Amino acid sequence: MVISVSHLSKTYRVAQKEPGFLGTLNSFFNRQYKEVHAVSDVSFAIGEGELVGFIGPNGAGKTTTLKCLSGLLYPTSGHVSVLGFTPFERKNTCLKQISLVMGQKNQLWWDLPAEDTFLLNKEIYEISDEVYKKTLHELVELLDVADVLKTQVRKLSLGQRMKMELIAALIHKPKVLFLDEPTIGLDVIMQQKMREFIREYNRRHKSTILLTSHYMEDVKELCKRVIIIDHGKIIYDGLLGDIVKKLATHKKITVIFESDVDPKQLDAIGEIKEYNFPKVVISVERGASNVAAAELLQKFPVADINIEEPDIEDIIRQVFKGKELV
Amino acid sequence: MLIKNTWDEALVYRLNFILWRVRVVIRFLITYFLWSSIYSGNQQFFGYSREMMLTYVLMVYLVSNFVFATRTQNIGSEINEGKLTNYLLKPFNYFISLGARDVSDKLLNFGCTVFEFAIIYLLFRPPFFFQENLGLIILAVVAFVGAVGVYFCISVLLGFLGFWTSEIWATRFIFIILLDFVAGNFFPIDILPKILSQILMLTPFPYMFYFPVKVYLGQLTTSATIQGFGVMAVWVFLLTKAMFLVWRKGLKVYSAEGR
Repeated sequence: MVISVSHLSKTYRVAQKEPGFLGTLNSFFNRQYKEVHAVSDVSFAIGEGELVGFIGPNGAGKTTTLKCLSGLLYPTSGHVSVLGFTPFERKNTCLKQISLVMGQKNQLWWDLPAEDTFLLNKEIYEISDEVYKKTLHELVELLDVADVLKTQVRKLSLGQRMKMELIAALIHKPKVLFLDEPTIGLDVIMQQKMREFIREYNRRHKSTILLTSHYMEDVKELCKRVIIIDHGKIIYDGLLGDIVKKLATHKKITVIFESDVDPKQLDAIGEIKEYNFPKVVISVERGASNVAAAELLQKFPVADINIEEPDIEDIIRQVFKGKELV
Repeated sequence: MLIKNTWDEALVYRLNFILWRVRVVIRFLITYFLWSSIYSGNQQFFGYSREMMLTYVLMVYLVSNFVFATRTQNIGSEINEGKLTNYLLKPFNYFISLGARDVSDKLLNFGCTVFEFAIIYLLFRPPFFFQENLGLIILAVVAFVGAVGVYFCISVLLGFLGFWTSEIWATRFIFIILLDFVAGNFFPIDILPKILSQILMLTPFPYMFYFPVKVYLGQLTTSATIQGFGVMAVWVFLLTKAMFLVWRKGLKVYSAEGR
């Protein structure tokens, strides 16, 4: 196992203050602390070359877990191992093989072109000229940023900057990569490019990637396996397809009719979710979807028909609403 | 537009730079003229002749600009703004980077100071004592290196307070004010009552510059020199230990926030 986490907990102590001046005075003399259990008793293991999605709402403990995995945070309890190292010891051999990219923060030198940061990283990670050139060339090619390599970072667009961040984080070819919201704030096209890059990188280098994202598209497209965390606890760890099967008991059939039909007749097929002639959306049980579609085609003047899985977002929402995952 | 912006930026920086140097020089001139006027009537004060005192003041100016030049005051904000994270994620030593930044700052500072010193020297022709005894010069250099070490450790330790509190300037200000008095910045420590100066000599403060300056001036007895180096060595050892200990403890509570 490249990454193994067992019974990891991280508790922060946060000062609390009542609002107003009295509250301030009170807090000055008698400060109250609240223990925040960012992560409690989390265990999982990830094998080499896996690309795992780590999802959960804000404050669920995703970033805290990633920070523990990359050695930034000292776990309150539990054991973390990455490539056989304890990350918090921050051994150079370990640090040279991992990388953490955070979508909201930059490591690039603001006033200098991105290439200067890459050069600095080259020195820090002790990369030979040859390897550096080759890696940089490959990354620049993949991300298509050759034309802005010499532009001051502050003049780059968010998308360009994010790509540069990735290059800076990957220049030492880490075996393990932690991506925290790599697509945050990017437009749809840029998100798509980012995904393609991550997938390609994982395929080419067999690197292990743990990715968090709020965008279910990211996860759906990239990760076979997901770990879902909420309130600091893992509530699901397994194949994304399995949750869909488990929770998506119904499929969505969208039909475009050629001529008017009696909605009452459609009731027999399934539950009508939307009736907006000529478009009708019907929800049918998973197992019965093929039969239902055939029936529709036979009995009604159908112009177009489309059977879909329900949105993955809806499913995940159900999970967070407390639907049991057995 | 780009060129103009770049110029503006350089100019802002330059103005800032000049003002900073002016501040340093003014601070020196105030102390210098203060002592100069105190001596206008008398020949001796607290066992110091006018020449000795003015040399001391000049030395303070030279040395303090070197010893106290540091970038370590940024540690606190680096911790609180989460910038420390960038260092922690990479396979290199944070202390080495702190040291390197300090050395560059010290060199810049010292270069300026020597230049200003030359001008002041030519303008006022102050009585300045040039040590000719090679042995004492070597000892003084060792003492200066120790002084740099003591100050570095204390300053880093103050910065590490940032692990526990987000407001670190209050303690640093107290430290800076304290320094002026007990490190011998305003006056040599041996003009204080004997018992007080003896107690002070056990604290790390005088070793940041009173002690090296006195070594350079050759005004210490052999036993006082040996004792001084001894106490200094103990402090360097203790402070270094404390620095690494606090660093390790601090990392355990570091929350990498702001990222």
